Amino acid sequence: MAEYRAIRVEKGSGGFGGPLTIQGTEQKNKVMYITGGGVAPEILDKIVELSGLEPVNGFKTSCPEDQLALVIIDCGGTLRCGLYPKKRIPTININPVGKAGPLAQYIKEDIYVSGVTNATIALADGSAAPVEAAPVEEAAPAPEKKGGIDTSKKLSEQMAENGKGNALAKIGLGAGKVVATFNQAARDAVQTCITTLLPFMGFVSLLIGIINGTGFGNFFSTLLQPLLGNFVGLLILGIVCSIPGLSAILGPGAVISQILGGIMGAEIAAGRISPTLALVGLFALNCHAACDFIPVGLGLAEAETETVEVGVVSVMYSRFITSWVRVLIAFVASIGLYAAA
Amino acid sequence: MDFLVKFASAFMGVFQLGGQQFMGWVTGIIPTILMLLIMMNAVIALIGDERIEVVAKVCTSNPILRYAVLPWISAFMLGNPMALSMGKFMPEFYKPSYYAAASYHCHTNSGIFPHINPSEILIYLGIAQGVTALGLDATPLALRYMLVGFVANFISGWATDFTTAFVQKQQGIQLSKELKTH
Repeated sequence: MAEYRAIRVEKGSGGFGGPLTIQGTEQKNKVMYITGGGVAPEILDKIVELSGLEPVNGFKTSCPEDQLALVIIDCGGTLRCGLYPKKRIPTININPVGKAGPLAQYIKEDIYVSGVTNATIALADGSAAPVEAAPVEEAAPAPEKKGGIDTSKKLSEQMAENGKGNALAKIGLGAGKVVATFNQAARDAVQTCITTLLPFMGFVSLLIGIINGTGFGNFFSTLLQPLLGNFVGLLILGIVCSIPGLSAILGPGAVISQILGGIMGAEIAAGRISPTLALVGLFALNCHAACDFIPVGLGLAEAETETVEVGVVSVMYSRFITSWVRVLIAFVASIGLYAAA
Repeated sequence: MDFLVKFASAFMGVFQLGGQQFMGWVTGIIPTILMLLIMMNAVIALIGDERIEVVAKVCTSNPILRYAVLPWISAFMLGNPMALSMGKFMPEFYKPSYYAAASYHCHTNSGIFPHINPSEILIYLGIAQGVTALGLDATPLALRYMLVGFVANFISGWATDFTTAFVQKQQGIQLSKELKTH
């Protein structure tokens, strides 16, 4: 019998989910691919070679679900990408598609990985790929002929028959991938609008409604006018906002900055603040940018604990030290900006 | 009674004003942003993260590449906050400085490329909207925001090299300036 090794599959560029670890067993020993109308995906070779699983072409035949260790699909986000995750069968999508389609709620990181390429597949124990000869030996003596899969031929021969080398099929697959990528990009973008942009717009709109509707606006703008309405005020605002410690409190979600930005814009529109100050405003309102995020940001950069300890203080200091420089540069660079207005 | 009527209409007025503001933003901002976001998401997915990492490794050698070029490219390609992860190619000592520069780059470039930081875009859009309301084109503002940012963010990043050295002494910690080989 073939020997099954655990493989580790990570998501590729723009992909979602994973990493999955796939381990074949005597019972679950098949990998089914339902891609490009029956054309074997590029990653199939490597998966079969590493894992020892037996490939099944889902377009030509089917296979009992309890024998499936893995399914490979190239779904652009309509149905298939959710079908197998729903049945809790590990699924690889070679297109970079995330939670999408009518079965999106079943697409989870522990059962689904997308955007997969050869480069994101490896043996789970981290060792190098086995020598070329091994998979052929394993594939050849597979005892039964189940589900109409021809195990007497080499994989490469089957693929030739499947039309893997066919230029037309390649173009088709390529175009499919581009379309799927754009489709996913659109999905992500709409998601961003719904989850982050619209709620914030709603929140700030309500604030602006309250500010303008209650007459609080006049009071508020006379209060902020001295700061937002001239260079010196903006400079002071920038320096104050970036005082170490205070800067971290003002940071989260850039809420304060965004509200002040909205107010300053409204004041510019109302003609109470000159548009020439717009650029200075952009820099002054945001001197403290990301001061609340330093540990997380350094964590993303895989910094060591000591680096984070030093970095948090260091970045807050440098924000404070450079805040006035930034506002000043912006002031100089504002020369000629909307000068005619 | 008169008072009640006045109060009620003022109460509703608050929400109507808010609604108008919201509608103005939704119709004026969302459609363009959405198109830009889709395009940029797709381009980034097609180019791929691996190629960006290659560029990142080259960029660690000198301050201008480190605090101006690399964070700019990272912000453009990866957006906020993933652009910050490119700091992993820096020696430990330079990581705070890279963070300082890159996090600013995620703001200053967002006028022209809103996909970089859509959740914090209202800082720019709020002000730009005011400029547009006067009948002026906001593009010069966005362009200057980016160009000034390029210079200012470099200064902010570089200055952090000095504050890091200072804080190091203060805390008695020594961070490596050598790139760790894995």
